[in-house]
Amino acid sequence: MIALAALLSLAATAGAAAPVPPDVDRLLARLDDLYRSKSSIARMEISVTTPRNVRTLRVEAWTRGEDEVLVVVEAPPREAGTATLRVGENLWNWLPRIARTIRVPPSMMLGSWMGTDFTNDDLVKESSLRKDFAARVDRRSDSPAGWWLALEAKEGVVGRWARIELLVGDDDLPIQERHFDRKGRLSRTMTFDEVRVLGGRRLPARMVLVPEGEPGKRTEMRYLEAKFDVALPPDVFSLSRLERSR
Amino acid sequence: MAGITVRLAWRNLWRNKRRTLLALVAIALSQALVLIYDGVLRGYTDWMVDVLTGPMLGHAQVHAEGWRKTRALDKSFPIDGVLRAVRALPGVEDAHARIYGPALGAVGEEGFALVVVGIDPAAELGAHGLLSGAKGVAPSGKRVLIGRPFAEANGLTVGAELAIVGQGADGSLANDLYVVAGIVPTPVDMVNRMGVLMALDEAQGLLAMPGEAHEIVLRGRDVNQAAALAAAAAALPELRGLEVLDWTRLSPDLYQVIQILGVAWGFILLLVFVAAAAGVANTMLMSTFERVHELGMLLALGATPGRLIRIIFVEALALGLVGVLAGSALGGSLVALTHERGVNLAQLTGGGPSELSFMGIVWSLTFHPTLTAFDFATSILGVAVVSLLAALWPAARVARLQPTAALRA
Amino acid sequence: MATPTLTYALRSIRRNARRTLLSVVGIAIGVALMLIVESFNRGKIEVFTRVGAESGAGHLRVTPAGWSVKRDPRLRLADSGRALREARALPGVAVAAPRIRAQALLAMGTHVVPVELVGVDPPAELLAFRYARKVTEGRWLRADDAGTIVIGRTIAEQLGVELEDELLATTVGRGGQVESAMLRIVGIVATGAAEVDLMISHAPLADVERLTAIAGLGEVTLLLTDWRGYEPARGALKARLGGADEVLTWPELVPDLVGHAEQENQTSRLVTEIIMLVVLIGVASAQLASVLERRREFAVLSALGMGGPALVRVVLAEGLALGLVGGFAGLALGGPLVWLLTTRGLDLSAMYGRSMAFGGTVIDPIIYGSMGAWILPEAFLVAIVATVLASLYPAWFAARTDPAQALRVAQ
Repeated sequence: MIALAALLSLAATAGAAAPVPPDVDRLLARLDDLYRSKSSIARMEISVTTPRNVRTLRVEAWTRGEDEVLVVVEAPPREAGTATLRVGENLWNWLPRIARTIRVPPSMMLGSWMGTDFTNDDLVKESSLRKDFAARVDRRSDSPAGWWLALEAKEGVVGRWARIELLVGDDDLPIQERHFDRKGRLSRTMTFDEVRVLGGRRLPARMVLVPEGEPGKRTEMRYLEAKFDVALPPDVFSLSRLERSR
Repeated sequence: MAGITVRLAWRNLWRNKRRTLLALVAIALSQALVLIYDGVLRGYTDWMVDVLTGPMLGHAQVHAEGWRKTRALDKSFPIDGVLRAVRALPGVEDAHARIYGPALGAVGEEGFALVVVGIDPAAELGAHGLLSGAKGVAPSGKRVLIGRPFAEANGLTVGAELAIVGQGADGSLANDLYVVAGIVPTPVDMVNRMGVLMALDEAQGLLAMPGEAHEIVLRGRDVNQAAALAAAAAALPELRGLEVLDWTRLSPDLYQVIQILGVAWGFILLLVFVAAAAGVANTMLMSTFERVHELGMLLALGATPGRLIRIIFVEALALGLVGVLAGSALGGSLVALTHERGVNLAQLTGGGPSELSFMGIVWSLTFHPTLTAFDFATSILGVAVVSLLAALWPAARVARLQPTAALRA
Repeated sequence: MATPTLTYALRSIRRNARRTLLSVVGIAIGVALMLIVESFNRGKIEVFTRVGAESGAGHLRVTPAGWSVKRDPRLRLADSGRALREARALPGVAVAAPRIRAQALLAMGTHVVPVELVGVDPPAELLAFRYARKVTEGRWLRADDAGTIVIGRTIAEQLGVELEDELLATTVGRGGQVESAMLRIVGIVATGAAEVDLMISHAPLADVERLTAIAGLGEVTLLLTDWRGYEPARGALKARLGGADEVLTWPELVPDLVGHAEQENQTSRLVTEIIMLVVLIGVASAQLASVLERRREFAVLSALGMGGPALVRVVLAEGLALGLVGGFAGLALGGPLVWLLTTRGLDLSAMYGRSMAFGGTVIDPIIYGSMGAWILPEAFLVAIVATVLASLYPAWFAARTDPAQALRVAQ
């Protein structure tokens, strides 16, 4: 599962001689919180590749808690200024070209997120690797250096994945996640790279999601900048703010 | 010898004018009714086929592989080459493209689901197009048309400004403002309830699919050749990789409905014919049996049984032919009369809606009785044969009687 | 004068057995045909109604106020408990099925299908929803089920799943929260039509209520034992409910199907009228022939003092008698055929495969007739009316017989 905010442990990973299998529980807790925060401001680049074409968006995103999200498109120029605001049960789109705000009816909120391969439950930060899965170290990986963890969904957990294979590097950062559906079939693969310091955290800036069995489809998300746990002006998540062109 | 038979037969017929007339009328009316029913049946099934292969399906359609399953916006295909190739096919009367783009619409702030239907206005204004009931109003540029149910459900009026937001074929955010230029009735239910009719080039622009569309509707000269038309189109090199299906395969359930209705009505045609035949037979039998006395007299005067049968045969033949011909003229002219104007079911049976929506299509309740040469031939043959048999059988029996027995009867 | 009329009529009927027989046979065939066509037409209408109602619409439905204007599945009944209680207690109710509907996504991995998830009461739904009886793999839901789902075959194919697989069901519940639940597939329904399969995703009521996070029922759908009584039943139920909830009838729920049934009805009436005409002509010509043949007889009677009106009565009496006998004969001939049509039906599946779908329903291509008390009065009505009408002209003709002229010509 992507965990979209976290505090990175300052404990350096031991690059020492014999690699020691990590404390799984602590590791998962760290991964869950990798991208999580009480509030954030970030600039990201999202690339969606389909058999037809490649589309790249650059957006700026504000979040507060789990219920408030504002995403404003910076590029490409055709869509610049378009914004999406989510507050609780309401979802609005602001369309600068026609100077209109439109509320998205609930039934249309469930689709894939902005045309990407991410599902809506990817964006809802309610699932947790640590709480929902029983994890164990499966085997060592030498190149890239890290550990393969096998995560089995616990009884009674509500979610898409029955099993996740997770490759975590020696720096406690995710390298690859492979998601297996409830029938045990590989559904999609996520890779993480371009590790940088963003907003005081060291984390992979780029995520690539490749669905299984759909040739030519992939989604890339790359953080350009990020600030975590920042103080946000009070009126960020408001319609009027939405409508002011950015 | 034949001459005498014919003359005797002729004179017999004339001598008993009332009986002759009675038989003639019975045969003629029965034949007329069979023809009328047949005309109604054929007109009805023709009408069903016509409506089904009208705006919604056409005779055949071209789609990208897999579009019909998910109706995904990005499963479009370039149309210019295809249209050119297909229009050049002999037997193709018309070919035009359509776009279907699910999107969000809003007048104020509240969004509601809709489908952008991009159409070729000139083509769809024709008798078989989506705009056939639009009285010449067509979408162009930012001016769009909507159906009444859609207008009412979402509070739209002519002149209202409608914002449309959706995802383009390339994944980008499509959005623009449009003006409702008119509220029109279309024959396709889905379009009336959810569609926004837009000029094709405008839709292509909005949905970022230049030169492309989701569907090409083909129409040939003869609906019965639809399968051949589809096959010919599929064989064109420009259509390689695309799916071409005729209407019976596009909507097999609609096709089945027509077939089943045809069988059901055909079953009833059989019943009507039996009823008519019974009536004719009854009349002829009755007439012939009533003439026992007369026939006995002929026998007594020296006519041979064979001669007797031949006389009756000629009588029955004359009666039958004149009767069916008269009936055909009567029935045929009645059908011809209603063929042009059409018969409105609602008016005929006293009230009811003048059109109804069923299976996604809006049906007007007017159909046009039709008859073909085949219908005439079969009914004439049928009724004539029945008359002959119905006259000959008793005649044969009488012929074998002793004259005295016949005279005494 | 009545008795001599009748006596004469009967005697003349008996005297010319062959002519009588012919007439009776003619009437009988006509009547039998009318019965078959009528049975056929009624059967078709019943099929449409039954199929439409049992495909989910029902004969009556209790809905929240405002649902008929905008069919929002998130609306709930004002008093769900009372609605269900009253619906079940209403006389003439075969079954009352409570339901909750929700726009949801069913997912297996990244495969996703949008559906209308229907929360149901399994035993009630089994009676109210005909596809519940078309489970081809696994089983229908059970009263004690929790966390289970039954889906249409097309959905299963699109998701790439089978029995016992667990699906993730996601809806947008109250407060904009995305609610999810795992539902285990216990049954798969194959209706024979892809579009209908897509409409089948049924789960226990409690599960869907939890998913939507909105308490209460969205609707209570009723099937009546006699669908024809839906209008009075609506009134009765509305009275018992009080409150803001509405009761809708079948024609209001599926106007499409009703429209088509109406259209079929009207065209059928046209056909029936044509057949009636044909029968009439047949009988009329037979009667006329018989009268013509007996001109001498009538002439003699007339000369003996039986006046015009008397002769008319005679011919009409004959007609009546013939009609009665013909009616019986028509019943004897047509009755068994109608019974056959009603029980065995006209089976077209050999031609058209196992089933056909249209308008969101699936019907079997067997056309059943319908049989009922209507047969008796109809047979006699047709027979007698046809014969008497057909006898009018011959009767009038007989009355005008000029004895002298009739006796002169040797016919």
